[in-house]
Amino acid sequence: MQSNKLGWLFLAPTILVLFLFGVLPFIYVLWVSFHQWNPFAANPNMIFNWADNYRAVVFDAQFLASLGATVAFVFFAVVTEVIIGYFLAQAFMGDFPGKAFFRTIHTLPLIVAPIIVGSVWKLMTTPSIGIIPHLLDNWFGLNLNIGTSALAAFTVTVVMDVWHWTPLVTLTLIAALVSLPADPFEQAQIDGAGPRQIFWHITLPMIAPALVATVFIRLMDALRTVDEVLMLTGGGPGSATRYVGVHIFKEVFPRTNYGYGSAISVIVLYLTIVVCWMLYTGLLAPRKGKEG
Amino acid sequence: MAGVQIENVTKRYGAVQVMHGVSVDIADGEFVVLVGPSGCGKSTLLRMLAGLEETSTGTIRIGEKVVNDVPPKERDIAMVFQSYALYPHKTVFDNIGFPLKMAKRPSSEIEAKVRSAAEVLDLAHLLDRYPKQLSGGQRQRVAMGRAIVRDPQVFLFDEPLSNLDAKLRVTMRVEIKELHQRLGTTIVYVTHDQIEAMTMADKIVVMRDGRVEQIGAPLELYDNPANVFVAGFIGSPSMNFLQGAVTAREGEKAFVSEGGLVLPLPETPASEGQKVTYGIRPEHIQIGQGGVQLDVVVVEPTGSETQIFAKSGKELIDAVVKDRIAARPGEKISFGFDPASVHLFDRASGIRI
Ligand SMILES: Nc1ncnc2c1ncn2[C@@H]1O[C@H](COP(=O)(O)OP(=O)(O)OP(=O)(O)O)[C@@H](O)[C@H]1O
Ligand SMILES: [Mg+2]
Repeated sequence: MQSNKLGWLFLAPTILVLFLFGVLPFIYVLWVSFHQWNPFAANPNMIFNWADNYRAVVFDAQFLASLGATVAFVFFAVVTEVIIGYFLAQAFMGDFPGKAFFRTIHTLPLIVAPIIVGSVWKLMTTPSIGIIPHLLDNWFGLNLNIGTSALAAFTVTVVMDVWHWTPLVTLTLIAALVSLPADPFEQAQIDGAGPRQIFWHITLPMIAPALVATVFIRLMDALRTVDEVLMLTGGGPGSATRYVGVHIFKEVFPRTNYGYGSAISVIVLYLTIVVCWMLYTGLLAPRKGKEG
Repeated sequence: MAGVQIENVTKRYGAVQVMHGVSVDIADGEFVVLVGPSGCGKSTLLRMLAGLEETSTGTIRIGEKVVNDVPPKERDIAMVFQSYALYPHKTVFDNIGFPLKMAKRPSSEIEAKVRSAAEVLDLAHLLDRYPKQLSGGQRQRVAMGRAIVRDPQVFLFDEPLSNLDAKLRVTMRVEIKELHQRLGTTIVYVTHDQIEAMTMADKIVVMRDGRVEQIGAPLELYDNPANVFVAGFIGSPSMNFLQGAVTAREGEKAFVSEGGLVLPLPETPASEGQKVTYGIRPEHIQIGQGGVQLDVVVVEPTGSETQIFAKSGKELIDAVVKDRIAARPGEKISFGFDPASVHLFDRASGIRI
C-alpha cells in the first residue's frame, strides 16, 4: 500500500498537468458546444440549446465542403509523405559520402514553426514576386496562381505539408528499419525472393507497426492543420483550401460563434478517432489477434 | 544437383583476415561435414557458398558455373541458419511454405509439401503458431522444414540439430540421411557433434582458424589424423597426448615422456632423440595385466561404458572400457595397449610421423 501511494504521488504532477491542459479544456469545449454563445450578439450570454449546434453543423454545406477538401488534402499529403519518407529512409540506410550531413539538414523543416512555413511558402508562391511561379513559367510555361486557381492552391498546400512533415516520417522509418534483424532478409534471398517480394513479404509486415503509428501521427496533425494554410491561402480561393481547422478558426474568431465552433471541433475529433480506429483494426489488429 | 568446388578462398573483414585460402572439392551428391572449433570460419564458409558473404579472393563453383558474382536468389541453394532466421510475422505454415510460394508453385502443392514436412518434423500441431510462440528446438525444426520442402542444387546446414533433445536429434539425423539418400542432393553440414560428423559424412573437413587442417572420410581421419590438431579433434573422448622423446632401450626404440613414463612404440621412422607427441585413444586402452602402472584419479561409469582417469606424476591418461570397473581413486591400475594403435607426431610441427 505504501509504495502504491508513493507511486501516485510521483504521478500526481503529470496527472494534474494532463487534467488542467487536456481534460478540462475538452470538457469545456464539450460544454460550450451545447450552447448558443456569441459574446457580440444581441444576447451575449451562454444559452443552452441542446444539440442545435450539432444539427446545424450536419446540414452546413460549407462545413461539409470543408470536410471533403480536408479529406482530399490529408489523403494526398499523408500518402505522399509516407512514400517519399520510405524511400528517403531506405536511402539513409545505405552508405554514401556526406550521409550524416544530409540526414541532418533534411530534418530542418521539422523545427520551423508552421506559421513561418506558411509565410515563407506564401512569399515563394505569390504570383509575380514568388520564385516558384517564376521558375515554372520560365521552364515549363506554366502559370501558377494560388490566388485564382483552386487546384494550384490545393496542390501548393499539399506540397507545403509534404515539405514540412516528410522528415518526420523518414526519421521514424529509419528507426524502424535500423531495428530490423538481418537474418530474415538473408533467408528470404535464399528462399528465392526478389527485391520486390522482399519488400511486400518481409520489410512491409515487419515495419507495419511503426508505419501505422507514423500514419496516425501524421493523420491527426494534418486533420487539424490551421496556421500554415491560413497564412498561405487564407482558405481560398473561394473556399478551396478552407480545411476544417481553417473553417473552425474563421467561424470562431472573426464571427465569435463559440458554440458552433466547439460543436465542429467535437465532430472533427470524433471523425479523427473513427478514422484511426478503422486504420488500426484494418491494419494491425487482425495480426495481433492471430498472434494472440 | 551439382558438385561444389571451393578454390583458394580467402575472406577479410577490413583488416581482419578470417579465411586463409580454403580449398574443398565436393562431388555431386556428396555429404560433407565441416567441423572445427568455434570461430574457425565454418559459418562464414557456408555464407560464402550461399552468396550472403563476398569472397575476398578465390573462386566458388556450383556445378560448372563460377558463382562468385551470382546473387543468393539465383544460386538455388537451401540453407538452415545457425540462428534459424524465421520470419517473425509469418506462421509456421507460411514460414515453411515461403520458398515454394516464391517459386510460384500452386497452393495445393504448397499445402501438401508443407504438411508432409511438418509430419516428418513433428510440427503438424504447430502450423498456425508464430515463431515467438515456439521453443528453440521447435524453431530449429521449422527452419529445417523450410529447407527440406525444396529440391535445391545444394543444401547448406549450419548446426541444424544443436538445440534438439537427444532423442529428437537421433530421429532427425536419420531423417536427414534418409533425405540425402532419397534426393541424392549435395549437402554441406556444419556440426559440433562428433557422432553426427562420423555417422553422416561421406567426407569430413576439419578447419581451424580459417584453414583446412585435413579432409577425408570419417574413418580415415580417425585412423590417420594428419596432425595433432585433427587427432585431438576427431574422436570422443579425445586422444591422450604425452610429450616426450624417442630413446633406444635394449636395442629397441621406445618413448619416454617428460614425466619419465616409458611406453612402447610401433614401427616408426622417428629417429632416436627426436622430440615427439605420443597419442593413444582412450578406447584403445585395455585394463589388466601388463602395460603401465598408474594411479586412479576418477572413475566415471556411464552405464554402457566406464571412463577412467589415471595418472603418473603429472601425466593424466584416460581410458574408456566396456566393462564395469570397480577401481577406486588412489588404487593402482595398469593400462595396456597395442603399440600399433599409437599415433606419433613431431613435437615442433605437430605433423604425423
Ligand atoms: N562481420 C564480421 N566482422 C568481423 N569478423 C567477423 C565477422 N563475422 C565473423 N567474423 C569472424 O570470423 C570468424 C569466423 O566466424 P564464423 O561465424 O564463421 O565461426 P564458426 O566457425 O561458424 O563458429 P561457431 O562454431 O561458433 O558457429 C570469427 O573469428 C568471427 O569473429
Ligand atoms: Mg557458426
